[in-house]
Amino acid sequence: MRAFRRVLLVVGVAGLIGAFAKLRGKGGVPPTSGGWRELEGPEFR
Amino acid sequence: MSTALVVGLGVVGVRAARQLVDTPGIERVLLADRNRGRARQLVEAFGAERADTVAFSPGDVLPEGVDVVATALPTGDDRPVVEQAIAQRVACASVDDDHDAIERLRLLHDRAETAGVTVAIGCGLAPGIADLLAKHAASTFDAIDEIRVARTGWAGEACAAAVRAARRGTAVEWAEGAWRRDQYHDDQLVWFPDPIGARDCRIVSGGVALLVDAFPDAARISTLLGEPPARRRWRRQFDEAGEWGAARVEVWGQRGTSRDVMVYGVIERTSVAAGTMLAVAAAHLVGALGTRVERPGVAGPAVLFEPVPLLGELAERGVRAAAFEGVPVG
Repeated sequence: MRAFRRVLLVVGVAGLIGAFAKLRGKGGVPPTSGGWRELEGPEFR
Repeated sequence: MSTALVVGLGVVGVRAARQLVDTPGIERVLLADRNRGRARQLVEAFGAERADTVAFSPGDVLPEGVDVVATALPTGDDRPVVEQAIAQRVACASVDDDHDAIERLRLLHDRAETAGVTVAIGCGLAPGIADLLAKHAASTFDAIDEIRVARTGWAGEACAAAVRAARRGTAVEWAEGAWRRDQYHDDQLVWFPDPIGARDCRIVSGGVALLVDAFPDAARISTLLGEPPARRRWRRQFDEAGEWGAARVEVWGQRGTSRDVMVYGVIERTSVAAGTMLAVAAAHLVGALGTRVERPGVAGPAVLFEPVPLLGELAERGVRAAAFEGVPVG
């Protein structure tokens, strides 16, 4: 029973760390499919 | 009307000089290089009515009548020129992209500020045009949290050697509001505008400090460099017209409640892009392209310049930026 509680605790802590790391990650995946369009107009957008 | 001094007539300096000669607000361009014969050839090509050679070496007193200096010297050699410009209260622009060289120039900030002199550093492709694109992209967000600048391309053999050294050296990143040093050996695939396409790039140090100066609230800022061709003794090293290069700028931030990314890029022969940026920056420092940019101290393009006028000027001179319109994957 004690070992089972420890396993539960470890899994819970790992989940929390994982969720935090996901929230604080490097910022998603950059777009890698699509195309380039020359900036135009007075605002160069 | 102003007089510009271009110091260093390598592949970048020549392009910068050409652009300054073609700038209406610049009356005269003085050319200085240790190879006086090369300077004389350029004066013949540009026309003696707009250009002239001058005997000047780093550390010398600037020639009389110079209003702005553009330096395109090998890495680290331009500090004495910048020091002299500050001493004589002359605005100055530098193209050096090496991390250590940039740090040595940034140390002159207080001296330049006290003297009331504006010194623009990192005025090349990246740092340089990429910094303008980062500022332009950042203006579309409520708040930004990450900037990633990648560059592939080198102006000549000296530049390629500097890129190899930067990729071997310790990288410096801005992460969570603090500097992080690391030794990266892994490359990341970065998509540049066509026809450059995907290239392996590695996190390096060059130019990060200039972006942090401009975006101190960003959580993460990093710069990456592509791999130059291996040095070979007998093969042709570089195309006379210059090697093609590209920069890609990713800015992540918040718009309302959503997180989004803006990706800008530019492709041009590296020496042309860097030389044009150097010339346009120098011209703005002296008011030859409209309003004179005056902000005493040493700073990068993102701190000194409003991006839209400079991007417009660069586009008119053939250096055009593009936006990536893509689909997030993965």
